[in-house]
Amino acid sequence: MATTTATVTLSSDLLSDAMSVTSSTTCMKAETTSDGLDQCKMGYKEIPTGTNFDLLGADNAAAGNLNKANKVYICNNSTDETYYIVITIDAIVIGRLYAGDWMFIPWGAEDATADIEIQAYTGTNKITYMWFHEGEVLNTTL
Amino acid sequence: MATTAAINITSDIMPGFGGYYKTMTLTQAGTITDIEETTGFSRRKLAATTAVDLITMADASLLLETDDNTAAKVYIKNIGNGRNAADKTTYVTVSIGDTGGTTQEVGRLYGNDWLLMPVSGVDDMDVVVAPSTNDAVVLEYVMFFEV
Repeated sequence: MATTTATVTLSSDLLSDAMSVTSSTTCMKAETTSDGLDQCKMGYKEIPTGTNFDLLGADNAAAGNLNKANKVYICNNSTDETYYIVITIDAIVIGRLYAGDWMFIPWGAEDATADIEIQAYTGTNKITYMWFHEGEVLNTTL
Repeated sequence: MATTAAINITSDIMPGFGGYYKTMTLTQAGTITDIEETTGFSRRKLAATTAVDLITMADASLLLETDDNTAAKVYIKNIGNGRNAADKTTYVTVSIGDTGGTTQEVGRLYGNDWLLMPVSGVDDMDVVVAPSTNDAVVLEYVMFFEV
């Protein structure tokens, strides 16, 4: 079985007693306890300000990842704190990743329009991303 | 006062992948000033497939109105039934929107899965959750935000 794990350590001293949470998950295929996600895609992109494009497309129903247990990691590697990207799914804003911020989410990809889109602001943002998934079948070249 | 989050990803899917580690300090939008507000670490038990607002962005629930479109972050973990039994075959769908209106699915949190994501803080762009079954499932969550 392919094994992918994601561990987060969250620490904060905002409260009167410091908070520290560590959590780890093994990324399994949808609705199974015996088979891990076995496909992945990783990349690094530079996105000019104002540009909005699909980082991950959900438009290939044959890919076999719709309504599955996809996991997506996105990091804004920009260093200027005023730089940020807006994350949207199916044109609905999820939130902003400022320079140095990262996110790790399950991605339902519930239908063909549920793409993960990003738009850059202030300057050219530099993005690292990873997508762990299952079931993608490459299409034959037409 | 600082809040930090570190992620460590390991995987043997791709030969030669040596793992990935990244840490971030949660800062206010467009600055290097630390984020200063939090909901505190919370826990909510659900036992029906009905969608509910886990975090409502409007003033009444948070006591402090979230500043819109800034650098808020939410952490959620599906810890299973709360008695050390997390089921990888059932899930909680996490969405953004409002239970009284429309929602956009983010994804499915199976047992022991967690997420950390930015949220806009805009009213009615709440964090909405809906279990896949009527069995008890417990979510642990915290939001860090600006006012």
